[in-house]
Amino acid sequence: MTTLDNRVSSRPIPNPSKSLITKLNAGTGLVVGIIFALGTYYLLNNNSSDDATVNFQHYNRTLLASMLMWSVGFLVGIGAFIGPWRWLIGKDLTAEEQLYLAGDGQGIKRYFKYCTDHKVVGIQYLVGVITMLAVGGTMAMMIRTNLAMPGGHFITASVYNSLVGLHGITMIIAMIIVATGPFGNFIMPIMIGAADMAFPRLNALSWWVLFTAIPVLCSAWFLGGIPTGWTAYAPLSIQAGPGMNAFLATIIIFAFSTAVAGANITATVVAMRAKGMSWNRVPIFVIGATISVALAVPAFPTFMLAMIQTALDRTFMTSFFDANFGGSGWLYAHLFWIMGHPEVYVILIPGVAILMEIVPVFVRKPLFSYTSAIVGFAGIAGLSVLVWAHHMYMSGWMPMLNGPFMVTTEMISIPTGLIFLVILGTLWNGKPWLKMPMLCVYAFLWNMLVGGITGLYLSDVPADNYLHGSMYVTAHFHYTLMGSALTGAVAGLVYWFPKMTGRMFNERSSYVAFWFIQLGFQVLYLGMFTAGAEGQPRRVVDYADTFHVSNMVSTIGAYGVGIGFIVLLWGVVHSWRHGIIAPMNPWGAKTLEWTVPYPVPLVNFDTPPVVTSDPYGYGKAVK
Amino acid sequence: MSDHNAPELNPTPGERFTKFLKRKDVLETLGWAVFYTTGFVILGGKFYTKWMPTMMSTDMRAIERLMVIFTWISAPVCGFVLSMATYTFRHGHRGDTPPEDGPATRTNRLGISLFGVMSSLLALVAILYGLIELNSSAEAATKDAPNAMVVEVTGSQWVWSFNYPAQGVTSNELMLPINKPVIFKIISEDVNHSFWPVQLGVKADANRYQTTTVQTKPNKLGAFDVKCAELCGLYHAYMETNGAVVTTADFNNWVTAQGGHTA
Amino acid sequence: MASSNMTASKRVASALVGTLLGVAVVATVGLTLHSVSGDPQGKIYATKSADSISVNGMSYPKAAVTMGVYPDGETALKDGSAAAKVNKQTGYPQYGPSTHVVLPAHTYITMTIHVYDSGEELNNPYFGKVVGTVGGTATFDGVAQTSIPSDQVQHTFTLHGLPTRTQDPLFINVPLPKVEAKDNGDPIPTKDAETRNAGHTVTFSFLTGSKGDYVWNCEYPCGDGTYRKFGGVMSTYGYMSGKVTVA
Repeated sequence: MTTLDNRVSSRPIPNPSKSLITKLNAGTGLVVGIIFALGTYYLLNNNSSDDATVNFQHYNRTLLASMLMWSVGFLVGIGAFIGPWRWLIGKDLTAEEQLYLAGDGQGIKRYFKYCTDHKVVGIQYLVGVITMLAVGGTMAMMIRTNLAMPGGHFITASVYNSLVGLHGITMIIAMIIVATGPFGNFIMPIMIGAADMAFPRLNALSWWVLFTAIPVLCSAWFLGGIPTGWTAYAPLSIQAGPGMNAFLATIIIFAFSTAVAGANITATVVAMRAKGMSWNRVPIFVIGATISVALAVPAFPTFMLAMIQTALDRTFMTSFFDANFGGSGWLYAHLFWIMGHPEVYVILIPGVAILMEIVPVFVRKPLFSYTSAIVGFAGIAGLSVLVWAHHMYMSGWMPMLNGPFMVTTEMISIPTGLIFLVILGTLWNGKPWLKMPMLCVYAFLWNMLVGGITGLYLSDVPADNYLHGSMYVTAHFHYTLMGSALTGAVAGLVYWFPKMTGRMFNERSSYVAFWFIQLGFQVLYLGMFTAGAEGQPRRVVDYADTFHVSNMVSTIGAYGVGIGFIVLLWGVVHSWRHGIIAPMNPWGAKTLEWTVPYPVPLVNFDTPPVVTSDPYGYGKAVK
Repeated sequence: MSDHNAPELNPTPGERFTKFLKRKDVLETLGWAVFYTTGFVILGGKFYTKWMPTMMSTDMRAIERLMVIFTWISAPVCGFVLSMATYTFRHGHRGDTPPEDGPATRTNRLGISLFGVMSSLLALVAILYGLIELNSSAEAATKDAPNAMVVEVTGSQWVWSFNYPAQGVTSNELMLPINKPVIFKIISEDVNHSFWPVQLGVKADANRYQTTTVQTKPNKLGAFDVKCAELCGLYHAYMETNGAVVTTADFNNWVTAQGGHTA
Repeated sequence: MASSNMTASKRVASALVGTLLGVAVVATVGLTLHSVSGDPQGKIYATKSADSISVNGMSYPKAAVTMGVYPDGETALKDGSAAAKVNKQTGYPQYGPSTHVVLPAHTYITMTIHVYDSGEELNNPYFGKVVGTVGGTATFDGVAQTSIPSDQVQHTFTLHGLPTRTQDPLFINVPLPKVEAKDNGDPIPTKDAETRNAGHTVTFSFLTGSKGDYVWNCEYPCGDGTYRKFGGVMSTYGYMSGKVTVA
């Protein structure tokens, strides 16, 4: 427990109220960040050359450097480096200062500070994720509105392409942190009986680094947008305008945040479990979140690397991906998908794990075959690093390897099957309590079934000859990411809302939102599957008249989903402010987070808990 | 999954199975399973035959067949999952208090083993089917290759152009003679594109300085669409052109009209 | 569950207002995007004439439309092009007065393009060919030709669309010859009629079909400094790209 280390310094303890720490917050971060960014910009920006190529590269350098310096400046301004600085001069933070950093007794202010309390970080992530999903969702509505009618009359091509790319990357970032951010930070340490995360300052760092990526990503709009989609394939990304720098900088910053968060969560679970919580007693959500971040730790550096190489190609005339000078676009595709395919499981696994956590509570039965769940997660994670080139069947990179990659890809259906087995086995012979989180479990079963089976077609090389790059792909991965992973996260929100806010989630709004979202979702993607089967390419601003009906159906469904999410957002705001005060354990669950009161004390537990069994001891003994 | 109500002390596996089948919940679930499986076999297959476009080559025919057969293979999986989901949902508990505890079943070796074997077998069938299909199309292509016509496909930001080297013709439209194997040699002048003659059921990316090759044999007269399936910038959506499969005579007339020479 | 500190009716009202507010926010974003992504320069309409012409035994009414290609916005402005007033990137070459052309259906269109820009070489030599015009030729300063060498090209007018069953296919490619410095010593024209003639004039005709939406873009790589010179101005809507509406 680093934060509350009680080591007594021999020197007199300075009063933290006079310390610099107390003066810094997001506002000072903002100021210093902007100073750093503008300073860098004005220092570097001089497009004096006659050569357009030199100017183009120099402008890219200037923008990239300014964006990265904004991030650094913000972190300096919010005080992220005070700890390391103290070490450098041979001191350490005093106990009082650490207590101050943990946000002790600072009320709402601590949410705007470099606060090391994992519960504060969890709430910061929650608000951040909701904001990102709202922004990404709004962009989705724009896309669907444009596609309601053929002709592309609503938005022009360049704005549309930017929408597609920014919707993609916003949602991908939001989905990567949607479960491990809020719940992994707020709930998970309590679930394993820890007082905080293993590295509380890194925890705050991971959030605030991520935060600095948000304005950078938004700046892409004002720099001409990005034409590349979220995959940012080279050489299109090398050709792209200044907005591309915002994308590159976002990923570089985000990958850093993920690495920090991943290392922290993994270390916490490995080292800080309560006494008696052997590996076979760890709640399944913790297992899922850990496998997810452990998978992200090796995956994201390749993405970061690909972005750095793209940036170098754009700024210093290297040619990693530029075939005109001996590079290869395939290299980019490899680096991207070596991250890209594990990444979808980084998103999916924690979402599924939340649902697995929920099922036993609402069915009042033990989790069926805990071992299968772990084998399923581990199998998926293991195989997911061996399948990336199924995104490149049609690239011409190496047709001979299509067969082997098809085999590994289709093998993923076996561990995925185990996930169904665990949930169905828990449901069977039980009487599920049909509250909103439980409804999400049912929605997941259907959505994951559709997503999984359509994935089977896509994994098959001959079928992919037709389906690759079509709307069918778009519909497929929305079923897995949105229909499955996001449904899991929404279930988690309603389920853990009482512990995170002290209030129950407004029930009626949760049901209204659920049905709007899920029914709208089916209409939306049924239309999109049809458009794909008919042969409509994805990421198009306009389409042939023959696809009109399926696109119109899709847009109608999308509006349903949109209304559902607005209702859900209302539910969040309303319940947070006016919801019924929640009892300590409203669902009668047996995991440790329900044994602590709201507000959760700074150190979580008055006395460290001792665990004697796994948390699934529900049910009557079998005769 | 286990029969937890068995009153006999030592029932044989056969007896236990019969008894299991007679359980009310099992019967209802089985009913749902049959319902969903049949539904998916019928509707799932129809979905693709209805919506996928005209098949203008054996490759496209193979794709549509594969989609339908994979739907059938996965129908029992849908039946299994959806039947159990439907049964438990129908018999779920509503209200503000938690339901009574269910049986504390933590595992069921037989159930897990059966599930593992079945799901692996289905995956195996899918894998084998895909591999055999992949192999047979490669085999047919190899056999056809010697008498194939070559078309050089160039993707430029946002227009396709086609060169027929043997005929000395360049065009923005893709004309193909029927029943003649054709090899597309695809290249890009700039960023990545993906050459997709939709109704022919083939696709390959256009890369800068890397020729990709794809082969097919159109076997039905008519128009088809040529699209770009890889986001390539501003007018990606409009990177489409007309294609047509025509009779050999019509093809030769077209070549002559374009100022080329027929073989 | 028990009620919260808000009455049920108040809660429903709050939910409705909240939802409407959300919808309003999304709609505002949409309308804003729609308004910024329209055609700021307006549209150019073809001028119909009373004449008609017979092509392949069919009679078509005639219409004409004129555009210019300028090395930058400043030059375009001198020529009275509206494009430069809106397009802020003055360093970009551009078509004017607008890049959205509206043409009548089933008409013989004569298009005249004045060109004032210099050039280098095409990425894809195919676009040195004249394609899709009546007679397969275009008139370059009075001389009818079927193509120009790919290193003599300045820009191209390449019109294409989606092959659909309800809109007639239309594909036109006309290369525009570059203006050499020697043509008048200064490739930048002014509104003054004499120097303006220093550029080239390209004229071609084509037949429109039924109503439909098409796009056109330039295939000459003029996105300086970017990969294959197709970024920058080439990838920014409204300079070297536009729409064609056949109405």
